[in-house]
Amino acid sequence: METLRLLASQGAQAGWLSESFSYAFMVNALVAALLVGPLLGGLGTLVIAKRLAFFSEAVGHAALTGIAIGVLLGEPPENPIIGLFCFCMIFALLLHFVRNRTAVPYDTLVGVFLAVALAGGAALLMYVARKINIHMLENVLFGSILTITDFDLLVLGVSCLLIIVGLMFTFNRILLASISPDIAKVRGHNTHFYDYLFVMMVTLVTIAAVKIVGAVLVGALLLIPGATARLMTKNMGSFVLLSSFLATLSCIIGTLLPMELKWPIPSGASIILVSATFFLIATVYRIFGRS
Amino acid sequence: MGPSISINNVSLRYENNIILEDISTVLEAGQCHVVMGPNGGGKTSLLRSLLGLTPFKGKINVHWSDKKGNIGYVPQKAAFEPSLPLTVLDFILLNQTRTPLFFNFNKKHKAKALQQLARVGMEDRALLRMGQLSGGEQQRVLFAQALLDDPDLLILDEPTNGMDENGVRYFESLIAELVKEKKTILVVHHDISAVRRLKATVHIVNGKLLESGDAESVLQPTKIERLFNHYRSNSANIKSEVA
Repeated sequence: METLRLLASQGAQAGWLSESFSYAFMVNALVAALLVGPLLGGLGTLVIAKRLAFFSEAVGHAALTGIAIGVLLGEPPENPIIGLFCFCMIFALLLHFVRNRTAVPYDTLVGVFLAVALAGGAALLMYVARKINIHMLENVLFGSILTITDFDLLVLGVSCLLIIVGLMFTFNRILLASISPDIAKVRGHNTHFYDYLFVMMVTLVTIAAVKIVGAVLVGALLLIPGATARLMTKNMGSFVLLSSFLATLSCIIGTLLPMELKWPIPSGASIILVSATFFLIATVYRIFGRS
Repeated sequence: MGPSISINNVSLRYENNIILEDISTVLEAGQCHVVMGPNGGGKTSLLRSLLGLTPFKGKINVHWSDKKGNIGYVPQKAAFEPSLPLTVLDFILLNQTRTPLFFNFNKKHKAKALQQLARVGMEDRALLRMGQLSGGEQQRVLFAQALLDDPDLLILDEPTNGMDENGVRYFESLIAELVKEKKTILVVHHDISAVRRLKATVHIVNGKLLESGDAESVLQPTKIERLFNHYRSNSANIKSEVA
């Protein structure tokens, strides 16, 4: 990373790159964007196919409680990764465990879990506010490229590697298990295993992307590029590739734009707004391009 | 050669609702067996029990002549969302290979998938979305999916649902071809005249196994009304409970 930062700095000094690249945090943020973008876009297509949009939003929002628990248990407020990871994973797995054993409609169940997590988070934050400056939490909730460290990049890199390797072997089976669980079972696939694996992947990427997109907005980046790609593509292969490309592009533009234009907005909000612009363009194209 | 299947004292209930009660029979190997009966009679539940998709009481044993072969399954229906860009070719590849759809540039995989689609007359629809197909066309694709691994046992739940006359005839010729290859086929079917053409062993199920035999003897006009009566003997108990 040090070499990369040095090269970027030299490039900025020589005038080949924008002045922003002379800042180490900017290089870190772009590397994070390049790592997390394709993954969020790719996984997002499965979120859409499995109709888990509400779930991915809920996991992002549950991060609030995870952060509060982490800080209360003594983790550093700018990076409460253990509390975040443990709570989000338990939240997601417990939700699916209950879904598989009750007849409660899925969206109702997600709504209940989300409400409980948010209420718990709101209550705990009152205690957390006594310990730290509450504004520090904004970085975690809405993303802040200033706070990305080499350790964050390492966590992100390992998470991305794990998920990409997992997806290469299981993408087709996860998709088949959601489209036709019976056919998948007859073919000998353990549909419950693939369901839980996917839930764990979504949770992991949510946690990994918290620093750059923010816990509250990461669910949106799982959805919007996929929703845009769905409007523009005719088969699953191009759906996944376009969604990954759009998510990566949104992350890069959303990270660079506020720096270049000196807009005081969090990276998460900027990334989502860029992504939403692509969606708007695709929607307008579909509506007026056809007529 | 397909397997024979022995079904021993199979019962299935959902809470207080008895679906199947003490069903015992043997499905001979290398033949076509048709399960018929009224709506709600437990035909699909019997198939799902056989496939291990639903818990049941009793025993079902599949006796393979040599090593365990492949099983092909066509469900009653599969819900394909029209807006999801899952093409017919994608769906077949999904079942055929582990190589992810976004990374599958293997021409051999695609050629094999198209070959399977050609078997059911759907190769020219390969690039359409699954959700854009009619019910009958979707059934054809599901049938192509079931044939992918050259299965020795085929289990088909109302495979001609929504098919036009041409499709039904095409399906019948495929079944005849598979029976010649000594595959064991188990089909849930509603169309009596189509079943007569299949020359299969017919099993009438309405909670219990009411009758088994060749189509000519079971599907006699004098018996049909009694065998396909929607109401079961326990309906009298339900009426008294409601009252």
